[in-house]
Amino acid sequence: MARVPILRLGEMLIATVLEDLRDTDALDLQERLNASLERTGAQAVLLDVSAVETLDSFLGRLLNDIAATARLLGAVTVIVGIQPAVAITLVELGLELRGVQTALTMDQGLARLRQRLGTARQARHGRG
Amino acid sequence: MATELAEQRRTISELQTPVIQVWERILALPVVGSLDTARTQETTETLLDRIIATSSEIVILDITGVPVVDTAVAKHLLEMVTAARLLGCEVLIVGLSARTAMTLVHLGIDLTGVITRTTLAKGLELAFRRLGLEVVPRRGGVDQRPEPAGELA
Amino acid sequence: MAEADIRLPIAGDTDIVAARQEARLVAKRLGFGLVDQSRVATAVSELTRNVVRYATDGRGEVVIRELLGPSAPTGLEIVVRDAGPGIADIEQVLREGFSSGHGLGMGLPGTRRLMDDMQIESEVGIGTTVTIRKWLRRR
Repeated sequence: MARVPILRLGEMLIATVLEDLRDTDALDLQERLNASLERTGAQAVLLDVSAVETLDSFLGRLLNDIAATARLLGAVTVIVGIQPAVAITLVELGLELRGVQTALTMDQGLARLRQRLGTARQARHGRG
Repeated sequence: MATELAEQRRTISELQTPVIQVWERILALPVVGSLDTARTQETTETLLDRIIATSSEIVILDITGVPVVDTAVAKHLLEMVTAARLLGCEVLIVGLSARTAMTLVHLGIDLTGVITRTTLAKGLELAFRRLGLEVVPRRGGVDQRPEPAGELA
Repeated sequence: MAEADIRLPIAGDTDIVAARQEARLVAKRLGFGLVDQSRVATAVSELTRNVVRYATDGRGEVVIRELLGPSAPTGLEIVVRDAGPGIADIEQVLREGFSSGHGLGMGLPGTRRLMDDMQIESEVGIGTTVTIRKWLRRR
């Protein structure tokens, strides 16, 4: 089984999907993310899918579910790095990934989250 | 002969769907003419490639030049919007006429989540605000000095 | 010179990934662009998943073949078949869709949108064969 590692960075959980995920690996990731969210109370989930070349309806729905569950657990989900070909295919499949924020790069995703999670905190420390 | 025709067709296609970088992180896409499936696909591919190349965060879709917005065209526009969104962009649609707006409402097309403005200028203003930018009067006042001609900036 | 048909068995999760990766490679080799490669890989993923989920013993087979013209390949054909249970109402499975992203279903309308051609042959108690094709567009 290819376990996608979940990193914790402050209030965020970050997972970088590095290889063509099998269905079982994807489900495993979902379970561990939910468990992490519950355990840590993290406020954001960042999923880097920049290496994913094939995002089909199964994975698409899974991402939707991850975001929906995260929201109920008080966290926002950002999907980073959807490839253009993947985006077009998703649209043609009729999947919109509503309820999911997206960002082009990790930098963009982190910047957006920083705005949402801790602008005040950052300003006080003279950052960003 | 056949390749020449194909080449011409592609050139015309590219000319009809220019993606313009109006500012850092802001792209504008004036859509002129009708939108069929093939053109939507080509335009979307070009748009997404430019989004990545410029790391843009906002796309202003200008439909002033689209004469008829029916269900099919609206569907194609929404497909472009969705695709750009998946790449992290916010999409604003500008150039909506009152007639088009009425048509869309009448057709029951769901545009919730799609921000629209009547003109490109208004769209640009919103885009600037979204990026935390604003246009303010220049401290030194108006600058009417002639620019040296023939220089590429 | 035609490449031989590529046959891959489907028996589980890993085979879904293998099949879609192979289909992508063939599409790439034939000269399909990135977006078409993604469409082909996604379509194969959907169809092979159906086999794993719904076919008897979750078993089936994928055949990937180049379609040849007089001077060059014209496209790609992929056949996904299983030995049961068969689809009683093909019209119905073609109607169920993912437009709302809900429900299970077989993702067939979506798959059809991604490809140029799709044919379904199915007989209850015998099995199902889905054939999909994509043509190279001469630009």
